[in-house]
Amino acid sequence: MPEPPAVSADDLIRQLDDADPEARRVAALGLEGVAGAVEPLLDRVGAEEQPAVRDAMLTTLAGHDTDRVAAGLAVHLASEDAGLRTAAAEALAAMPVSVPALVPRLLEDPDHDVRMLCARVLADLPHPEALTWLAVMIKDDPHPNVVASAIDALLPSLGPEHAELLQRAVRRFPDDPFLRFTVEAALR
Amino acid sequence: MTETQPKVLVVDDAATVRAYHSTLLTEAGFRVVQAANGLEAVETALTTPFDLFVVDVNMPKMNGYTFVETLRSDTVGTPAPVVMISTEDRPGDADRAYAAGANLYLVKPVPPERLVRIARLLTADRVAAR
Repeated sequence: MPEPPAVSADDLIRQLDDADPEARRVAALGLEGVAGAVEPLLDRVGAEEQPAVRDAMLTTLAGHDTDRVAAGLAVHLASEDAGLRTAAAEALAAMPVSVPALVPRLLEDPDHDVRMLCARVLADLPHPEALTWLAVMIKDDPHPNVVASAIDALLPSLGPEHAELLQRAVRRFPDDPFLRFTVEAALR
Repeated sequence: MTETQPKVLVVDDAATVRAYHSTLLTEAGFRVVQAANGLEAVETALTTPFDLFVVDVNMPKMNGYTFVETLRSDTVGTPAPVVMISTEDRPGDADRAYAAGANLYLVKPVPPERLVRIARLLTADRVAAR
């Protein structure tokens, strides 16, 4: 049985616009490791309406883990589409090489929703500074929901050394019952 | 714990939020079950009837909007009330929640007494009908 002819990267990039979602999904996965596919994928991922196709695009993009991909995905943290912003956060959490350079900017983003998603990224980012950045968010972020998200992200790694940090967060937001509950539960 | 106590499914990927809402509602006399994402919540809702759903928006695997749409679709098909609670107050978020089938959209933090009051109001008819 002769092997089917190999599909070229150019063909797969064209296939990203196929009307059939399964064809688009297969094309996105087939472009793994193809540097020339980064821009076509970044161009399309925000507009892709099928979650399975979008996830395939994000998986392939995250595999590149470059500054260009990180910057291209970070813009979707502010998306109006809840599925897209959550999926973008998951993809960024799988990019330990390029995401750290973005973190200082994300921590200062004027949109507190973006900073909350940054806490989710840091929760799963395999990087030695991730816990330090979460501690900075708990210590300095002006929004209680961001602080609560950072505490939630830090939860699996919490130790006695974090007690003062958490208690200080409660003192910063004395009228926030959720934050108080979270800290009391964490300290237990 | 009795069968007349209203049963609530709390859906949130943040363990602290799940614990917070569950504690508030349990102390107020509700029976509470938890799920960590929309997919897990659908599986639970398919096998257990609930009187109320308290649902986050941003979750991995299946976000809150998709979960509520699934609740209202033939897949689950429950008319039980849904309260969506999000940390986000972007323009259009509430509209999206109501379009999905939610009864109420609240922005965190929700004062504890308000959440309990809303939960009681939304479940009163279902409890009375038992």
